[in-house]
Amino acid sequence: MAGELEGAKSLSGLLSGLAQSAFHGHAGITEELLHGQLYPEVPPEEFRPFLAKMRGILKSIASADMDFNQLEAFLTAQTKKQGGITCDQAAVISKFWKSHKTRIRESLLNQSRWDNGLRGLSWRVDGKSQSRHSAQIDTPVAIVELEFGKSGQESEFLCLEFDEVKVKQTLKRLSEVEESINSLMQAA
Amino acid sequence: MKNVFSSLHLQRVGWEARAGSGSAGPVPATSCLAMAESPPLREPVLDAKSEVTCQLIDFQWKLGMAVSSDQCRSLKYPYVAVILKVADHSGQVNSKSIEMTIPQFQNFYRQFKEIAAVIETV
Repeated sequence: MAGELEGAKSLSGLLSGLAQSAFHGHAGITEELLHGQLYPEVPPEEFRPFLAKMRGILKSIASADMDFNQLEAFLTAQTKKQGGITCDQAAVISKFWKSHKTRIRESLLNQSRWDNGLRGLSWRVDGKSQSRHSAQIDTPVAIVELEFGKSGQESEFLCLEFDEVKVKQTLKRLSEVEESINSLMQAA
Repeated sequence: MKNVFSSLHLQRVGWEARAGSGSAGPVPATSCLAMAESPPLREPVLDAKSEVTCQLIDFQWKLGMAVSSDQCRSLKYPYVAVILKVADHSGQVNSKSIEMTIPQFQNFYRQFKEIAAVIETV
């Protein structure tokens, strides 16, 4: 039966399923589904610990955001330990992490962001504007629409109006942020 | 005949009627006629912010670094968080907090520089 658990394609599929479930929020990927689709010949009592082991390995790699050196060392250690993984399985896991790392990391970052995330920005500048609330005429106006929302929730929209003075003031504030970012990057 | 216009759509129609001289991002709406015939593209919310244009009164910012979380021990995620204080035409003031990644902020900043460049020429 161990041979059944060796198949690279099945393991690759399993890792994809685990990633969908653990990181990308796909609720429907159950143990039964993975077992039936990928390892139908393997008895459930053998599949269950195997699934738990792979899930644990994938979560450890993702949680540590391993680079490729760390990954190599980690997987080598896993092949050497009792009840660990085979070299072929290590190769499949390595290949999987290399191609899915960025996306998994993005999902983890989204999960850790509890406030609204910026989703979009659109703008236009109008040459002339009149408003019943204001006597300003012939004043160029920038209209900026921000789209934002919490993870998994629908977007909210905020529509802001800026005159030239306000645009410049905002730009000045934004340059302060940029300066801070540059200091942080230099210090890193 | 059921009126499928919401105040949001009336705002969009108003935009279409004004002369514009520069824009970025997706076009705000399809043609006015198409808007009249099709159901709303997004649900209008009762929140005043999405139905009127607001003035930005102030914004506060912070540059943060998320180090670790229960889901990921090694986050190492720098982010910019802003709180926008906005007022609508009735004077009602609201605050909205938004977080962005560094690349998102840099795009935001770049867009504002473009706005500044365009608004000067109008």
